[in-house]
Amino acid sequence: MTDRIAVVGGGVGGVSVVAALRAGGFVGDVILIDEGEFPYDRPPLSKAYLAGDVDLKSIALQPPEWFDDHRVQLMAHSSVGALRPGLGVVELADGRSVRADKVVLATGGHALRPPIRGSARAGVHALRRAHDADRLRTALVPGSRLLIVGAGLVGAEVASTALYLGCQVTIVDPVVAPLAAVVGDEIASWLHGMHTAHGATVLRGVVESFQDSPDGITAVLSGAEPRVFDAVVLAVGMAPATALARDAGLTVDGGIVVDPMQVTSNPAVLAVGDVARPCAGGVLLHRSEHWEAAQHDAQRAAATILGVAPPAAGASWFWTDRYGTHVEVAGNLAGADEFASRGHRGEQPYACFGLRGGRVVGAVAVNDSASVRAARRMIDRGITVSAAELGDPSVDLRRLIKR
Amino acid sequence: MNARLPVSEGIRVAAVDDIPEGEGIVIVRSITGTDDDVALLRDDDGSVWALDNTCTHAEASLAEGWVEGGQVECPLHSSKFCLKTGAVDGLPATKDARPHRVEVRDGQVFLYPGERP
Repeated sequence: MTDRIAVVGGGVGGVSVVAALRAGGFVGDVILIDEGEFPYDRPPLSKAYLAGDVDLKSIALQPPEWFDDHRVQLMAHSSVGALRPGLGVVELADGRSVRADKVVLATGGHALRPPIRGSARAGVHALRRAHDADRLRTALVPGSRLLIVGAGLVGAEVASTALYLGCQVTIVDPVVAPLAAVVGDEIASWLHGMHTAHGATVLRGVVESFQDSPDGITAVLSGAEPRVFDAVVLAVGMAPATALARDAGLTVDGGIVVDPMQVTSNPAVLAVGDVARPCAGGVLLHRSEHWEAAQHDAQRAAATILGVAPPAAGASWFWTDRYGTHVEVAGNLAGADEFASRGHRGEQPYACFGLRGGRVVGAVAVNDSASVRAARRMIDRGITVSAAELGDPSVDLRRLIKR
Repeated sequence: MNARLPVSEGIRVAAVDDIPEGEGIVIVRSITGTDDDVALLRDDDGSVWALDNTCTHAEASLAEGWVEGGQVECPLHSSKFCLKTGAVDGLPATKDARPHRVEVRDGQVFLYPGERP
């Protein structure tokens, strides 16, 4: 019988596990172990929190009283040293131990540090936790020269925030149009082009090394003259935090391998969120690194522990903000064989739907909330639509779903 | 339409037909006398509900949200709120939205600011 659950990691995945357990009627003990002062939401770390427009308390994932109200024992400022699933114990780094019948790992990941010579120096930042953002913010003073390595979601959002704060921003990425695999070449090019339009310098290439120079950090770039910066941000992705799992003998392969119920190779241990790598029918799938996906993992994990049917899986969704523009992506445009634009790219609102066999499989929307919400429902409900209808702004998308 | 009636009578704020099913409209605070603007939201069953318009998480107008099955989904980060009680269901919002009572009489929507539905 499961009467005591320990959840390791207080990001959106971990907090959602404990919330879903209580919402599902779990009456046993729930312990949430987190390294920070309290669980907070990470998407603002590259946006409003980095800008200094909101403080840490205002991005708390739950208000302080929530944990007591839901009988969740929050062990803050605590990190786990080892899992002992055979003994039903989680050992904390400070020597304390926590008894648990089941453990849910929601350990997320670390910012990837690429093997660039000189990248360990003080002015070279990465962004993953609140204190990373605090440290980076001190470097984002007006006029400071910032190099961002990597123009994916985090790099692009940091660029937007740094320009807002008055920095001189340079972005370097080896790819012509980052995110093309997700949103298609045309929209990816347009999104990437926003950096230049808002005053950033965009370089295509890679950084070969960082060197100290009298007035900052010199970045030696492929195919360009060396340039001097006051600070550097590495935004080249994340590495899942799998050390605990590996040390406990769980199967790890580019993430903690989990089955469709979020159970790892040890039935007493589950994993959710960025750290979990799903495996279905013997096939390893990609890890998702998105905020909502972590919540869905958490709801599945809670259902597994409670012994109830998991919630239905739906189309994936994420958002990103840059230069005051809210971009949302639902489903997967890569599988589409037909596209329909609603509005004109470069103007807002704008949405592009991808269809396959007369059904929507993905959509990207720019300041167009209703279109992406309609797209998710069309995907989830398997609605048959035509590209002509989707592209006609006089057609009410809600009616296409209801007919 | 803007005339302020005694609160017990409610304030006539819109015709039901002004609000498409599944959508919402904003009634500004100068009419409602509330701290926030009010979102009049029409569920897909045709019923009309009212919540404070600003999402409790970030600057977003719930009147621009997706209304369906007794909930409104925030247009920005997709937190969902119960149309009747304002109860939040899903991060990133953690606070409930404030509900207001409405009555529909002869195709007109009357708002009772601050009264619970």
